[in-house]
Formats: sequence, C-alpha cells, structure tokens
Amino acid sequence: MGIQKEAILTVKDLKTYIYVNNRCNRAVDGVSFEVFKGETLGIVGESGCGKSITASSIMQLLPRLSRIESGEITYHEKDKDIRIDLLERNGKSMRELRGADISMIFQDPMTALNPVYTIGSQIRENLLYHTSMSSQSMKEKAVELLQKMGIPLAEHRSGEYPHQFSGGMRQRAMIAMAMACNPKILIADEPTTALDVTIQAQIFELMQKLKEEHQTAIIMITHDMGVIAELANDVAVMYMGSIVEKGTVDEVLRNPAHPYTKALLQTIPKLGQGKKQKLEPIRGATPDPYMRPKGCQFMPRCDYASDECNQFPEDMQITDSHYAKCWKSKEVTKNV
Amino acid sequence: MTEEKRPKNRLNKRFDKLRDREIHGYNPNDSGGRAFKKLKSNRLAVIGLIFVILTISASIFAPFVTQYDPQKVDLRSMLKPPSSDHILGTDKIGRDVFARIIYGGRISILVGLGSALGAALIGVSIGAYTGYRGGWWDSIFLRISEIVMSFPQIILVLLLVSILGQSLMNLIIIFTLTGWGSLYRMTRAQMLSLREEEYVQALRAFGLSRTMICYKHILPNALGPIMVNITLSTAMFILQEAGLSFLGLGVPLNIPTWGNILNVAQDLRILQNYWWVWLPSGITISFFVLAVNFVGDGLRDSTDPTLQG
Amino acid sequence: MILVISFLIYLGLELTPGDAVSFMLPPDALMNIKPAELEQIRDSLGLNQPFIVRYFLWLGGVIQGDFGYSLASGVPIKDIVLDRLPATLELSISALILSSILGVIFGTISALYRGSITDNCFTFFGMLGVSVPEFIFGLIALVIFALNLRWLPVGQRILPGYDSYWDHMPHLIMPAGVLALMMTAGVMRYSRSSMLDSLNKEFIRTARSKGVPEWRVNFIHGLRVALIPIVVLIGFRFPMLIGGTVIIEQVFQWPGVGELFVFNVRSQNYPLVMMVAFLSVIAVLLASFLIDLFTALLDPRVKLE
Repeated sequence: MGIQKEAILTVKDLKTYIYVNNRCNRAVDGVSFEVFKGETLGIVGESGCGKSITASSIMQLLPRLSRIESGEITYHEKDKDIRIDLLERNGKSMRELRGADISMIFQDPMTALNPVYTIGSQIRENLLYHTSMSSQSMKEKAVELLQKMGIPLAEHRSGEYPHQFSGGMRQRAMIAMAMACNPKILIADEPTTALDVTIQAQIFELMQKLKEEHQTAIIMITHDMGVIAELANDVAVMYMGSIVEKGTVDEVLRNPAHPYTKALLQTIPKLGQGKKQKLEPIRGATPDPYMRPKGCQFMPRCDYASDECNQFPEDMQITDSHYAKCWKSKEVTKNV
Repeated sequence: MTEEKRPKNRLNKRFDKLRDREIHGYNPNDSGGRAFKKLKSNRLAVIGLIFVILTISASIFAPFVTQYDPQKVDLRSMLKPPSSDHILGTDKIGRDVFARIIYGGRISILVGLGSALGAALIGVSIGAYTGYRGGWWDSIFLRISEIVMSFPQIILVLLLVSILGQSLMNLIIIFTLTGWGSLYRMTRAQMLSLREEEYVQALRAFGLSRTMICYKHILPNALGPIMVNITLSTAMFILQEAGLSFLGLGVPLNIPTWGNILNVAQDLRILQNYWWVWLPSGITISFFVLAVNFVGDGLRDSTDPTLQG
Repeated sequence: MILVISFLIYLGLELTPGDAVSFMLPPDALMNIKPAELEQIRDSLGLNQPFIVRYFLWLGGVIQGDFGYSLASGVPIKDIVLDRLPATLELSISALILSSILGVIFGTISALYRGSITDNCFTFFGMLGVSVPEFIFGLIALVIFALNLRWLPVGQRILPGYDSYWDHMPHLIMPAGVLALMMTAGVMRYSRSSMLDSLNKEFIRTARSKGVPEWRVNFIHGLRVALIPIVVLIGFRFPMLIGGTVIIEQVFQWPGVGELFVFNVRSQNYPLVMMVAFLSVIAVLLASFLIDLFTALLDPRVKLE
C-alpha cells in the first residue's frame, strides 16, 4: 500500500435542492466523497450536472433560494470534526472557516473581483478578518503573495484595479487572494474556462506548486477531461446530481465502468490518432431536471440499457477505490 | 442545514411544500405564453389593468355614467356638498363635479396616451432608422435630441406654450415634441446593439433592403421595452398635463380636464372649505396614474428575461 | 452645445413679438425718445447690422451679465433673476440633499430586506410618490398643516419683520418637505433596484467566500458599487432643481425663479422667459458635467476626458 491518506473533508449523502420559479430542482441528489490532504479531487461533468452546486454547498455559498436538504459535510480539523451542514449560513463559525480553512476561486475573475477596489485591498480583506496583522504587514504580505503567484512588479500592481490586469493575471490575483491565509482546502470552480489554453497551463502549474508546498487539498471542478488527466489524483464523474463513477484517475480513465464516462471519453479527440478517429457524440440530450426519467438518469441515452435499469442503480465496486453507479458496470469494463 | 436543526421560518416552510409537491410528481400546465403567464401572476399589474380599463370605459361611455352635462352652469346650486343628487357636489358655478371628472377623463387620457403614442412613433421610427443606418443622419438627430433633452422638461413645455399659445392640439404637439427624446435614445441604443447580431448579417446577405431589415426584423425584438416606455410615458404626460392645467397654462379652462378642475384649488378659501371641488379630481389622477404605473411595472417584469423569482 | 442653444434662444428672441430695441434699452429712455433718435440708437446698437453680428453682440452682452430688460416692468432681467435665485436654490438644494440621503437609505433597506413587510411598505409608498402629482401633495399638506392645524405658515418665504435667517425656516418646511417627498420616492425605487442588481453580482459571492461579515458584504461591496448608477440618476434629477420647483413654488407662493417663470409665461414676457430658459439649460449642462466628475471619482473604470 502507499502512505496513509489523511481525509480532510468528508461529504456523505449530500442533497442540495434549488427552489426557483416555484419549482424544486434536485440539483445535488445524494453525493458522497472524501478529500485527502495534499491531493486533488477532480469533479467532472456537463453543465447543469450539479458539480458547482456541490462546491458551493461545501462553503455554504448557495444562492438565496436554495438549501442543503440533507446529508453531512464534515471538515476534519486537527483535533476535532466540524459539521459544516449544521452551521448557520453566514454565521460566525462558517465565516471563520471561509478564507482561512476553506477557500474558493471562481470561473470568471473579471466579474468575481470587485471593480472599484484595488487588488491589494481585496487581498488584504482576507487577512483582515482572519489574522491580527498590522496594516503595514498586511500590505507587505499582499505584495508577497502576488509575487509568489508570478505577477511581475507586484508592489505597483497591488495598487491597481482588476480591469487593469489581463485575464491570466486576474486569475493569479484571485488565487493569491484565496491562498492568503493558507487554507487547507482550495476549491477551484472551473478556474480556466474563461482563459486561453496557454494561460491555462500556467495556472495549473501554479496550482500544482501550491499543492506541493502547502499540502493543500484541491477540489477541481471542470467539464474538461484533459484537465482531470493532468492534475487530479482522484476523479468523480457527475451526471444529473449524482456521482455516477468514482476512482483514481488511472482507474477511471483507463477502465471506465459507467456508460456515461465511457461515452464522454469517446468524445475527446486523441492526439496522434489522426483524422480518421471516430468521435461519437452522446446521443440524446440531458433531461430536464424537472422531468427526470424514472430509475437510472442516463438510461434514455445509454447503449447498455435494459429493463433492470428502471430501478435507480446502486454503487457497484470494481476495486477498493473504484466504483460505478450502474447495474451493467461489469459489462462496461469488459468492453474497453 | 439539515432537517433537524433547521429554523422553522417562512422561507423554509415554503421550500418544504415545494419539495414535497415535486417529489409527488408535479406537472404544471404549460399553456399560454410565458410573458402572459407572468403578467397574470403579478396581481398588482392585473388590478392596475382592471382599473385603467374601467376608467377609460367610464370616460368613453360618459353619457351613460352620469346624466349631468359638465359644462352646464347652474347658479342655483353653487358649491353644494356631495348629496344623492350630485354624487360629488357642485363647483363654484354649479357644475356637477362628478360629471366634470368623468368627462375630464376623456381629455386627460387623450392627452396622455396621445402624446405618448406620438412621441413613441417619432422617437422609435427615427431612432430605429438612423440608429441602423448610422452616419450623417444619426449624428444630426443625436445632436437634436441632446439639445431638446438639455432643457428641464417643464421649462421647455412652458416656453413652447408661451410661444404657440394654449389649445388642446397644441398641448399634444408640444408634449410629443418634448417627449420623443427618451424613446429615440432607447430605440437607438437597442438598434446599435442588435444590428451587430449575426442574423442581421445573414439577412443582408440575402439581399433584403435596409428598411425591411430595420422595421420588420430588428424592431420586433426591441418591442418589449418600448411598450413599457409608452405605458410609463402615458403616466408621465397625464401628470404633466395636470400640473400645467393646474397652473392654468395647460388645456384651456373651458374644456374640463382633471388638471383644470384643480385650478380652482389655488383659491385658499375653496381649498379649505369646499374639498369636494378639487380633492376627488386629485385622487382620480393619483389612482389612475398609479394603476398605469402598476401595469407598466408588470409589463417590464414580464418582458425582462433576466428577472427571476 | 451651449452655443447652439444660445443661438436657438436668440432666434426665439428675434422671432417673438416685441421690438428688439424696446427690451435692450432702459424703459425710461424709451419713453422720451424721438423716432430719429430711435434710428440712431438702433444704428449704434448695431440693430441694423446683419443677423449674425447682432447675435454675437447679444452673446457678448449675456456673458457680461447683461440679459436685457423685462418687457413688463422694465427692470433689468439680471436683477430680477438674481433676486429670485436664492429662494429657488434654497428650496431645491435642501430637497435634493434630503431626498438623496433618505432615498438611498430607504432603497437600501428595501433591497436588504427584500420581500419583507418593510420592503413592501416602502415600495408602495414609492409607487405613490411617483404617481401622485406633486401639487396634490402640496395642497393636501397646506390644508392639513397650515389651514386646519395652523402649525405652519400658509406660504411665502419671508414676512416683513423677520430678521435672522432661521426665522423663515417654518416657511421652508412644507415646500421643501413636499418636494423632497416626491423626489425621495424616485430615488428610493432606483436605489432599491440598483442595490438588488449589485447584490446579485459575482464579487459579492467572492467577498462572502473570504469570510467577510455580512454588513461589510452588503455595504462596502454591495452599496458602494450600487451607488454609481444611483449618482447618475440623481444627476439626471438636477434639471428638476430649476424646473421641478415651478409647481411647488406656485402652490406655496414661494418667491423663486419658478414662480417668476410661470408669471411671465402667462403675461407673454418673452425676453424674461427666454433668458430663464437659457439659464436653466446652463444649469442642466453644469449638472451633467458635475455628474461626469462624480462618476469618474466613484468608478475607477471610467477615465476622465
């Protein structure tokens, strides 16, 4: 075996429902996973599968018209466990955790940063509420953080506004802001979707470095399998509010056990296989969350479907760490 | 928070209800356009609409609502308080107040709606066409609208009244001339953003003439905010007419309008002792404009796709 | 821009009835003049010069403060206006300040407690304020407070015998109060919607994710950004400073520029009417300039040109 992995966050059977337009959207409908210290968990899925809401639930940053319906979110601090789901949404305990223990970076740094305050002051805001540093040392620390994130002329830049930064630099600034208090967990919600591919690579390199230096656990939310392959240790594939497959990156990508994962992988062009390779889009369309199929959510689009799929599948273990929510997982693994 | 520890407040109870309903297979009847449905669910707008329709009908069918002639002078019953004979009493020269209000509504609403439509017609057509074409014409009209909008509206209106003289037609013309600016600006802005859309390029590639593209294809997309603006402008013009007539500078005093009736309130004696002569008219204006505003707000809520519950 | 408008105004002056001479000369001189002398004066004043030259002569006069003379009273227009200006400014500035502060406060409270009873009450009063004609409010206030309860004076600004500045405060309360009430309604509605917009933005979420307390999220982040469009809107209300007081001044017999304007419109005293209109435009343009300045101050994304 390997080194004993230390779980820093445990999510058990999380359900988060969204109540908009007088309807109930079961956005996250029973999700469980563990996040380990110094490791990256990738959560991958299409738009609307519930991955962002899962991330928001962990930090209780849900929109006004939604709530954590049931389940447990446990943060394993050094000597005690904190049940995040039982904390008041913007209460003192939750606020103490945010920024200092668990941080989040968002998809579009242009809208995620306040346009009327300088970058430096926004970084300092994090320090202001979690440390007791003096005003001068906070200023210095902010500059230091920007430097570490690879922003040149950090001192000058610290006094500038978000619109004066380029896209990649803005994202670095946001990471600097999130890492200011050395959080144990960093949640990255599609951090590079709005950026160029070359900048994307730089950002990921940066995140990798941070992970190694500070042993930060990272939850990486994305819709891009390539990102998962690059950065993640473990991966969870989500569809319509449930995790349909989970395991190490090696296991899931080489030996997918769920038809959805398999289909996803088949839509990605592989470098080196030339023009003749077949790209198969997944047939059908993602169901309306308000009009869900009975039983397995993927059934209408699945090549392996049969009558037993009318019953909502259980998790089938493939190995100790790898499982899939499918009655036919054995078949799927055979047909690689 | 999980079920056990959740605070039992209004929001949570509502959520519980929605969730249980959903789990038991809820399927709303999806008939009728989305916009119309949203309008129906906005109760204030509906109440407003009913009131507006009632008032307009009362004005149009005035002879059926009241048997009195608003102009008829009856010196024997001056300043009589409300009674079974005259529902709202009589004014200084014996005219029935209620009748004056009902008939007055005709003119006030005519001025309000007429000016709003006129301003809309001019503003939208110019804004649409010059906005789309750009170039020389666009700059000229932009300048013109800037000049017109630099004047505080009342000042400009009064200025024109002093030059052109007072009459019903003049007033509508003046209102239209001073009011086309805002719709022009709005239409132009919409035009500027929509004309860069891809479907416009496609239409050009098909060889459609500029006028066709502008009026038949782009304009309908901008219709929502325009309707809202017309509604709210009507309210504004009615208020303006009321103000002007109160000063005696609006519609000539021989034609009753809601504002005209209030002109007598400048006399402190009447103000204090004979409330029925002026107050009902003021209340009517207020409620009507309020109703129109409700409708306008409701229209705005239902045509704005970004607003959420 | 100003030039164009000044040109239009001058055009208006020329086209309206009333001899150009008669309003450029002091009336006492006009009384005793002989036709020949009149021609001489016309010549000397450049009145027989082509239109353009006359325009520039007039413009020059205006810049130096010579606005011509009122047709009715013969008093220099400048004096009349200056005499009335403080009254109007008193009224409008106090109403503007009061309504801006109250409007933003109420609008923000409304937005923060969205959907609550407080919010619904404020919104309803906002709707009322925007729908009820201002003079109705004024008249009702007059009846209740001045005539029936006799708490406040009926109108006018200063009665003879008053010495200090503060003595006429009671007179100011009603007109300023009514005007402020109306304006607060508009500012409040706009503040509420701007605040709601701002609170919906992504950076609010980012602020929360740092563990920042709610009050800071709402005010330092939310309100601060919401203020930008609110300031622009309050700026658009500046024209009301000159125009909006017209009706209120009439109701309360407040001796300001507005009342002056109405009176002279009635009596068709064109020179005066034109000049006041011109001045009001200048006020509006000045206000727009100030607003641009403020916006640049509040929003670092905007660059001053």
